[in-house]
Parts: sequence; C-alpha cells; structure tokens
Amino acid sequence: MDPECSRLLPALCAVLADPRQPVVDDTCLEKLLDWFKTVTEAESSLLMLQENPCLVELLSHVLKLQDVSSRVLSFSLRLAGIFAAQENCFQYLQQGELLPGLFGEAGPLSRAAWTVPTVRSGWIQGLCSLAQHPSALHFLADHGAIDTIFSLQGDSSLFVASAASQLLVHILALSMCSRAKGHSGPVGGDWPACAQKIVGHIEESLHSATTPQVTQALNVLTTTFGRCHSPWTEALWTRLNPLVACLLERDPIPAAHSLVDLLLSVVRAPVFSSSDCGLWETVARTLSCLSPTQAGPLAVGILKLQHCPQELRAQAFGVLLQPLDCVLKAMAQAPGLPGLLDGAAGDSMMEDTLLSSKSACVGLLCRTLAHLEELQPLPQRPSPWPQAPLLGAAVTILRFCDGSAVPASSMGNHLCGTLAGCVRVQRAALDFLGMLSQGTSPQELVTQVFAVLLEYLKSPDSSPTVLKKAFQAMLRWLLSSAKTAGCSDLSRHTVLVLRELFPVLQKRLCSPCWEVRDSALEFLTHLSRNWGGQADFRHALLGSEVPKLAWQLLQDPEGYVRASAVTAVGQLSSRGLHASPTSPEHPEAQQGLLSEFLHILSEDSEGFPRRAVMQVFTEWLRDGHADVAHDTEQFVATVLQVMSQDLDWEVRAQGLELALVFLAQILGQPDPHCPYAVALPKAAPPGLLTEVLQTLCRVRLFEFVFRALFDCDRPVAQKSCDLLLFLRDKTAPCSHPQEAGGSPDSASMEATLQRWRAGEQGQPLGDLEPEAVLAILGSIDLEGLQGMLAKSSDHMERSPQSLLKDMLATVHVLEENEADCY
Amino acid sequence: MPEIRVTPLGAGQDVGRSCILVSIAGKNVMLDCGMHMGFNDDRRFPDFSYITQNGRLTDFLDCVIISHFHLDHCGALPYFSEMVGYDGPIYMTHPTQAICPILLEDYRKIAVDKKGEANFFTSQMIKDCMKKVVAVHLHQTVQVDDELEIKAYYAGHVLGAAMFQIKVGSESVVYTGDYNMTPDRHLGAAWIDKCRPNLLITESTYATTIRDSKRCRERDFLKKVHETVERGGKVLIPVFALGRAQELCILLETFWERMNLKVPIYFSTGLTEKANHYYKLFITWTNQKIRKTFVQRNMFEFKHIKAFDRAFADNPGPMVVFATPGMLHAGQSLQIFRKWAGNEKNMVIMPGYCVQGTVGHKILSGQRKLEMEGRQVLEVKMQVEYMSFSAHADAKGIMQLVGQAEPESVLLVHGEAKKMEFLKQKIEQEFRVNCYMPANGETVTLPTSPSIPVGISLGLLKQEMAQAGLLPEAKKPRLLHGTLIMKDSNLRLVSSEQALKELGLAEHQLRFTCRVHLHDTRKEQETAMRVHSHLKSILKDHCVQHLPDGSVTVESILIQAAAHSEDPGTKVLLVSWTYQDEELGSYLTSLLKKGLPQAPS
Repeated sequence: MDPECSRLLPALCAVLADPRQPVVDDTCLEKLLDWFKTVTEAESSLLMLQENPCLVELLSHVLKLQDVSSRVLSFSLRLAGIFAAQENCFQYLQQGELLPGLFGEAGPLSRAAWTVPTVRSGWIQGLCSLAQHPSALHFLADHGAIDTIFSLQGDSSLFVASAASQLLVHILALSMCSRAKGHSGPVGGDWPACAQKIVGHIEESLHSATTPQVTQALNVLTTTFGRCHSPWTEALWTRLNPLVACLLERDPIPAAHSLVDLLLSVVRAPVFSSSDCGLWETVARTLSCLSPTQAGPLAVGILKLQHCPQELRAQAFGVLLQPLDCVLKAMAQAPGLPGLLDGAAGDSMMEDTLLSSKSACVGLLCRTLAHLEELQPLPQRPSPWPQAPLLGAAVTILRFCDGSAVPASSMGNHLCGTLAGCVRVQRAALDFLGMLSQGTSPQELVTQVFAVLLEYLKSPDSSPTVLKKAFQAMLRWLLSSAKTAGCSDLSRHTVLVLRELFPVLQKRLCSPCWEVRDSALEFLTHLSRNWGGQADFRHALLGSEVPKLAWQLLQDPEGYVRASAVTAVGQLSSRGLHASPTSPEHPEAQQGLLSEFLHILSEDSEGFPRRAVMQVFTEWLRDGHADVAHDTEQFVATVLQVMSQDLDWEVRAQGLELALVFLAQILGQPDPHCPYAVALPKAAPPGLLTEVLQTLCRVRLFEFVFRALFDCDRPVAQKSCDLLLFLRDKTAPCSHPQEAGGSPDSASMEATLQRWRAGEQGQPLGDLEPEAVLAILGSIDLEGLQGMLAKSSDHMERSPQSLLKDMLATVHVLEENEADCY
Repeated sequence: MPEIRVTPLGAGQDVGRSCILVSIAGKNVMLDCGMHMGFNDDRRFPDFSYITQNGRLTDFLDCVIISHFHLDHCGALPYFSEMVGYDGPIYMTHPTQAICPILLEDYRKIAVDKKGEANFFTSQMIKDCMKKVVAVHLHQTVQVDDELEIKAYYAGHVLGAAMFQIKVGSESVVYTGDYNMTPDRHLGAAWIDKCRPNLLITESTYATTIRDSKRCRERDFLKKVHETVERGGKVLIPVFALGRAQELCILLETFWERMNLKVPIYFSTGLTEKANHYYKLFITWTNQKIRKTFVQRNMFEFKHIKAFDRAFADNPGPMVVFATPGMLHAGQSLQIFRKWAGNEKNMVIMPGYCVQGTVGHKILSGQRKLEMEGRQVLEVKMQVEYMSFSAHADAKGIMQLVGQAEPESVLLVHGEAKKMEFLKQKIEQEFRVNCYMPANGETVTLPTSPSIPVGISLGLLKQEMAQAGLLPEAKKPRLLHGTLIMKDSNLRLVSSEQALKELGLAEHQLRFTCRVHLHDTRKEQETAMRVHSHLKSILKDHCVQHLPDGSVTVESILIQAAAHSEDPGTKVLLVSWTYQDEELGSYLTSLLKKGLPQAPS
C-alpha cells in the first residue's frame, strides 16, 4: 500500500467508526472497496491488516456500535469479506472472533439494520468474497449461513435475492471443487455436506407448489450450469432432470421463462456435449408443452447450438416458423407461394395466440421476427433455409400493417384488423426484411420487396422510426441486388426501382421531421458511397432534385441534419455528383461548395456540422479531391486557420488528423498499423525536408500543432504530441540542435511556447523558419509529454490518495452543504 | 387480482440515477433512464440486467418516459437504447428532446477526454437514440398503444420538465420527475389536475426542508459577484451548458443593466446562441413574466454577455466567466480555474452539486492545496463559494402536490431514506393514504380494483323509475335488480325478460317450497279461510286472494292446506313462491309458523 494512503487510513477509519459523523456518499465507499480489492489482489491482506491495525479496529468497532449507519455496516461486511478471501487472513480475523460477529447469527442478522437492503446485500457480498477456501466452507456451515442465504433468495429486494442465488452457486461450486480434488464426481448420494444441503434445498424448491420458489431453484441451476463446467455438473443434472421434467406435467407450467433459461444453460454447457442424461428428451418435451411465445427463446437457443439432434432442431425450427406459416396461410390466395410448414396441420394453439388479443398477436410476431433475424446470418442456421417463404411472410406482414393486403381468410381479415398501423410489428418486420437481403431470393419476390419498401417510404402514415428502418432495409436490398446481378452495371430492375426511389427521397428530404430528413440524408450518403461510380445511379441521381435538396439542407435549422447534409454533399462532390442550387452542371459550383463548407466551419453554432466538415475535408485531402489538389497548400492553410480556434475539441482533434494526412502526403505514409508510431523505418532526405518544413511553415501548421500541444482538452494535446513525434523522427537527420538552438528565432519561439504551456495562449508564434522549428522539436521532451498525456485527464483526482483526502475533507463540510443534486 | 408494481432501479432511497420500472395492467413502463456521474465504470448506469432477464427489452418494455434533460434522469438513455438494445418508443417533451442531446454530447466529450472510460456511447449513438424519441406537448393525451396512454403536465424545475400520467383503462400512475411548486425567475410552478391516480410517484429531495426564498440566494449571489468585480477580481462560474447557466445569465444581465456595470461577462462554450435559441423557441414553457415581457425585450438576448475567447482569460482587470464543465473536472472551466486560483481577489462560485473525483468537489470540501501533475501543487487562494440553485419542491410543495392530485397511494423516490421516512409519516397522517419508499431493487405491489363499465338498458331504468317513482339522484346509490349479460365484450344490465329475449332462452320457473304444520282440527277449507283472513288483516298492501280451489295466493305465493296423513288434528300448509318474491315468501312462512290467531268461538 502506498505510504501516503497508509498515513491517511487511521483518520479515515476513525471517521467511519464515528456514528456522529455524517457518512460520505455511497460512491466513495464503493471506490474505497475497489481500491482495497486492488490492493489485496497484489499483496498479502494479512500483512496489510498487521501494518494498518486501524482496519481491524474499525471492523470490531462497527460490531460493537448499535447505531452505526447502514452504509458503514454494509461497507464493513464487504471489507471483511475482501480481507478474509485469503485463508491466512481469514484465520487471523477468526482469532479475533470478528467474522462470527459480522456474519454469524449474533451479528447484523439480529439487528434492526437487517431490514435495510444495503446491509443484507453487504452481508451477501462479504460472504461471496470470503468464500474462497475450505475454511470458509466450515465457517458457513458452523454459523448457519446457508439457511440465511436460502431465505434471502426470496428477499423483497431484487438485488439481494439475485445476489443470494449467485452466492449459493458460488458455495456449491466451492464445496464440490474442494472435494473433487480426490474424486471425479459424486457417486450415488456421496455429495459433500454443504453441497448436499444446497442440492437438497433445490430439490425441495422444485417440488414446491409456489412458483417463486420454483423460479429461485431454476435460477440457481441456470447460474450453476452457466458458470461451472466440471464433471460434477453432469451428476447434478442426472439427479435433477426428473424433477425438472415433472414441472412440465403441471398446468400451467410454473416459471416457464426460468425453465427455458435453465435448459439453454444446460444445453450450452460443454460437459453435456458427449452425454445426454435425458436432456434432449426434456428439451423436446418442453418445446411442445410451452406456449408459442414461451417456446420461442428456447427454439432459437437450440438452433444456435453447434451440436444437437437433428430431430430437435427440426422441432425447434418448426416452433419459430409456425407463426409465419399462419400468416402465409391467412393470405392463402397468393398462388404458387411455397408454405413454410408444408404438410403440417395448422397449429390451433398458434392460431389461438394470434387471434386472442392484439398484444398477444403483436408480441408473438415481433418475437418470432426478431428470433429469425438473429438466426439468419449464423452459419449453423437450419438448412435448407426457407428464404422464399420467409420473405413472403415478411412482405405479407408489412402489407397487413399498411392495410394493402387483401386476405382471403377470416384469419387474414382478423390479422389485417389487428396489425393495421402497428408500428412495433412494422419495425420488427423491416429489420427482418433487411436481414433477409443477405440470401438469394426469386426475382418475383424481390420485386415484391422493393414494391412494399417503396410503399412504406411513400406512405404519409409511416412514422419516423419506421421510415428509418425502411431506408435501411431498402439500402441493404439495393446493395445486395447489385451484388447478385454480378456485373458492373445495375440491373434493369434496380434502375427501375431507383427511378421510383428518387422522387420519394426528394419528398423525404423535405419532411417536417428532422429525423426523417436525417435518415434520408444518411441513406443518400451510403448509396452514393457504394454506387457513386455506377452510370445508371449517376444518371438517375442527377436527373432528380436530390443533390439540390441535399445542398439546401446545409442550412437546415437542426444541427444533426446540417451535419448529415455536409457528409452527404461532401460524398456527392467526391463522386462528381455535386450540384449547387444555381448551376448543377458548372464547375464553379464546386468552388462554391468549398467556401460553403468553410463558412459552416467558421460560423455554425453547433459542433456536429463543423466536425462533419472537417471529416469531409480530411477525406477530400486523402482522396485528392479536385478542389483540394489544385492548390493543396492553400487549402490546408485556409482550413487550419479557420478551425484552429474552434471551441469544440473534437473539431480541433480532427484538424490534427487533417494535418497528419497532409504531412504523410509530403513526407511519406506513417506505419499503417500504428499511424503515430515513434520509431519510423526511414527518415526523409535532408534537401526534401527543408522544403517540406518550409511548406509546413507557410501553411502555419506549426502554430496550430504547437498550440494544440498545450490544449486544455487532453485528446487534442495527445494527438498533437503524436504528430510532432512523427515529424521529429522524420526530420532527425537534419536536426542540429547545437547550431539551431542558439538562434534568436528559436529563443523567442521557445519563450512563446513556455507561455502557452502556462496557459497564456494569446500571443502568436509569428513567422517561423525551419531551423527554429527543428530546434524546438529537438528541445521539447515529447516522450515525457506523451507519457503524461497517456494518463486519464483526471488521474490525479481518481487516485486512492485523492479519494482518502476527499473523504476526510468532506466530513467537515457535509452538513454545511447537505446532499444536493441538479 | 390486478395490481400495480413499482421497482426503482435507481432513485430508490437515493439521489442518484433515476430509473423506475412501473407495471400497470400488464404494461411495463420505464420512468427516466439516468446516469450517476460519480462513477467512471458501468456502475454509472442503472443495472438493466434485471430487465433483460425478462427476455428482449423491446418486447418487455412498452415505452420509456423521460421527465427532463438532467443527466441523472436521461444520461443512460443512449446506452440503454443503442448498447443494451432497447428499440421501442421513448417519450419526452419537445424542449427535453431538443436539449437532451446537447447535455449528453457535453458529457460524452468529457468522458472521452478522460481515458479509460470504456463502454461509453458515441455521438452517432446519441443521434440514433434521439431519433427514437416521440415528443409530446403539455396536456396532450398520447396513445402509446391501444390500451396505454400518457399525458404530460408542467413541472417547473428546468425548461421542458414534465410530470407524466400513465393510464391503462381505469388505472393510472403519476410520476412527477423533479418539480418545483414555486415559480422562479424563468420558470413557472408545477401544476397537475385532480386526476386521482392509483399511485403518485413523487420526488422527495427536500422532504424535510422548507426552503427559503430563492430571492435570498439570488441576492447573495449578486452581492458576491459584485463585490469581487468591484475590487478588481475575476469570477469563474463553472456550469453545464444548459439550464442553470441561463438562469444565472438572466440574473447577472438584469443586475448589470440596473447597476449600469461595464465589467465584461463571458460565456465560454459557444452554446449561448443555441441555448438562447431554445429558450426563445420554447417561450411557452417559461413563466408568465418572461412571456409577457418577451414582446418588448427577450430575456434570453443578453446585451452584456459575450462569447468567450480563450485568450480573454489572461486579460487584466475584472470579468465574470461562465465556463463548462460544471464540476471543474476537465476542459475549459478547469483551465481557467488553474489560472485564476492563485489570486485571492478572484472567486469561483459553484452553483451546483459536484461528485467526488472532481476538482469542484475538492474545493467545496475546503481543500486548498491541490496536487497537480508532475508533483506540482496548486494553491487555491481565490474565494470558493457554493450556492445551490437547484429547483425542487420542498416539504410544503410536495404536500401541496399530493393534495392537488388526490392519489390513492403515494410512493417516494429521489431522496434520502431518513428524510423520506419523515415525509412518509406526514403524508400518511394528513392524507390517510398509504405511502411507500422502496429501496433500489425493492418492488412495491399495490392491488387495484379496476372499475368495469356496465351499461343499463333504458327499459330497465324506466321500469325501476315506474316502480320506485323517484328520480335518480347523482350522489345517492340505489339498488337495482336486473340480469347482467355480456355480448361482444360489453356488459349490460337488462330486465330478465329482455335478457331471455336477447339470448334466445326459454324461461324456467324456480319455486321455493316449504311445509308449515298447524294444529287445527277443522277441515282443510276452513283452515284455508282462516289463513286468508289472517293474512288479509296483516298484509294490507298486498293482494291476498282466496281462490275457488281453496288455495290462498299473495302475489306469486301459493298456500294450500292439506290434512296430515297420520295426525288428523294437524293441518299441513304447503307454501311455495317464486324467486322474485323470496323476501315475502320467507316472511309469510315465518308468520305462519307462529300459528293462526284463535277463531272467535
């Protein structure tokens, strides 16, 4: 432990032990425990207690106090647990009878403070830390702790109940592991006493007629099989499987959700990959006994498994397909559409659920769509994957929702009425539809997909969130259709879609909702990034008003939209698709865009658009955009000048990124794996370097970078430091500090930098000469600075010493300021 | 049994990150989704694993409601929606929707600045999260789905703060968020109608305090600023970009105007323009005075407050600077503080709460020697002042709101346990309602008795009117007999005849029968006559008839006399009646059991 902390500890312990002192806030006590945990992980707890007797004194004092605050009591319990995790320290605390006092029946358990959930939680967490060695097991058994933990499983606080279950699992595992050293697993009834007690309790709970008790048992088992993968878990399952299976005979099945979690936890456990133990049979029965809504998560979990009986997979997939099968059958008049579960008789339970109430129907469909969406991209998804009927079902659902479906059955009519305008289902179906773009689908269905997506994008009833998802799905389908076309040009069909799409996009770019305008711009950006080079796309885009509208949105009242417009217009411009409002075809419009962006960079009151401009400029510079390439120096100089005083540090950081790209272009690329690498393989030749440095001086890059080095926002300073290190290493052979260091130019520069470092950034650097820059580069301790900047900006305030001092200092003023908030 | 369940994941017996789960008539709603600025790891967010246990978040939760833009109420929202995976609707008022991303962005930048802050949301995530927001107007009933509806009420506290009523059928819960029952310089007082919810969930920050007038604090603030600039000192006021900053700006602007002061006031973030834009845009959310004077002079257009340039900090002479962030934990406010701290003429005024681990917290706890990087020590000689401008209802205000809404039960959140205990007793005593104060993770379950609407047929009402002959009185309950039928999920009370007709059922008569033994040696006919005359003398309002077949009837009650098979001195009276005359039938039986009066000899 740090000596300074050791010095402060007695005073802090005295404060904590004094009931008259108001208790500091919870976060301090939590952070204090974090620190103790870190310290005890690195050094001996026993030694720490011996060197800092105040800690044991605090614990014994807390025990004696009757009116100790619940926060301090809870803290003490957790602290004692952290110390007692090491066996020798546990023995040491045992000698002083401290542990029985804290965790035994005579401790907080019997006090009024036990009614406070924090204290019960502290008791559990303390025991959880403590239970690390065999002595702890004896301790728990001797002091009746296990029974208390059993009762805490049903605690009124979710946090306490959950922690109690976790603790039981922890103890069970410890008990089994302590014994397992000489045994491969329990044989017959030969379980260690502690484990036997816990398993017996679980068995009893599984027999119970009350659902909460069954739930508790199932939750403990779920955690056990999730965490413990030793052979004994197999024996445990063999013992409990019949009891779990018995739950399926009850009506209704108790704690169905927890039962599903348990079964998934067991089937995922590696220990069962080789043996069965009746597991698959129980799972199959569960699948058939549970309601469609309850069975969904189990089915998807099974289908995600790498190894599992084929029949069970088919059964599970059937569970997921059934709701969509019902949907397809409800639209029975669609000719030639393949069904999802051909030959299978309609499941009446499924139909009942879909018909019973709107919320049941919506819930089931949303869950099913989400499960199938989750499954679709996985390599272990069922094969053959019924892409076409699934697509048909998704389209049908979307049509039910927008009222364009013409169902032939009464079920269809009912679904139409239930799903009309249901945003939840629309969102889920659009997500699923987007995901289905990854597969190969018949052209006829693809046509339907585009038709329904266009309808959604056109519909005045579509909500902003639905529109966003419709745009996303449309993008995925457009990109995938180009991929499947297999040639460089877009398919005829895609071109037709684009022709219809751009008028819709135009309309959406004028939407009164900023969310919609923004989603439309994002869509445009992605599309032009991918298809900017496609002649058909270019033709369709330039034939529409879209580029002009995107330009107009640079003046949007909403900052988010302006930023998206900057990105979109910047992207269009990179692809030569840009159009100014006045003259779409004329090259001078390009110049207009650059000044428009510079105007945004200097004038926009919000950071997002300014950041977006910097990103576009950096990309332009990197890609050699025509406007930039014709006078790169002038471009860089102007941009740096405009943004160097920006109030948003992310804009300044982006400015450094631009400076780095510029440097890389004139000096050679930095290591791609480590752009700011200190050690570079090769330095530039001296003649070139002088020229380069002169260029950098001309664009006033050093003024900006050195200023950034002492920026009050650390990421900026760090980035600047990395950039200077890159530059210094590149210029190393030219640098002669002895000669250059004495020049009057460098002396005044050094003085200015000193002032900047002290926070006085008013004075400019003035005109610089390359020699002076080289001298400065050599004289600044950039490595030292880099080391310092690599730390968190508040690392001093977050240190343990600072925490202890704060806690001590707060004591005297707490009452004065009282607890306050925003 | 229908019930309302409430589980705070945050703000249960603490003032940290507000996040309360409410389950009402099968609908699950999350109230606020706040962040604790005192932690730098996942503990800053509420523990959502307790909801994810219930399956997919979007399926489990019907909606999220955000009461106002403070980070302890909305700071975890992008994390929840973009990282934990909630994809459903989020409701908040229009000003909150506009201002929320500014503060989230403000905080994100600080979090990114501090390295090692893993698992934090990005700028894009904030935007994507805000796109899921459905903005609501005050007093507008918003239908979340077919059954769940919400309605916002004015809460004061900060611009756009709202209380929300959540209603499913006849059950409702009101969540206050943070509110203020007294108007301040730019906002009005909270107001709610007598909505009589099943449960009122109220904040209780100042549960035991009667707060002094804010005017005193304002005067004190102005005096301190004035004194400092008068003696040539500089005043630093660390603030968060929006909220308190504007309130203090109005104060200083007005004071400067009145005193004709020339000392410059700067606002450092460049957000003044944006903030002022929002205050102008949402002028209807401010108080009456600001709205009234808006036409002549916009309170949010400041003549004396200028944008700050970093170089200004080194200018000689007095000045006042508002700088972000508010807890002196990074960036510009900390940089200016470092520059000015060494001069005893200067002053820093902390207008809000600071968490541990910040320089703001250190100086407020009286520390004057701050360790800086590189073993440097910063000696704080400047004056340090703390002034709480937080606008919460005090004990009186909370009681006033409870009285206004008339809830069936009250639940306290966002306060300290000890103070809550006091207020709980007070509420229970004064309003005779149950008051709860669950800790985080504890669930309060309230049984509710849902009212089921039943229609009454006009025919039945007319029949009842004709029989009782009285007009119905609004406040006087009346007993009404009829048949309850359910058709197309609607319940109706109709006459039995109508019910039979509507349901297409044949009528079956159910008669109660009873035998009464009488000691009478006379013939059956004579006994019947005696019964007739006895009943006629007692039941003057009823029609008592002696039929030719010898039986006696009273309404539907039929009485026949027969001889006893074994005892000729005893006659058996067979009494039967229909269900409708159950009362009269029972009465007659008991009457006959007492025997007949002696016949005149």
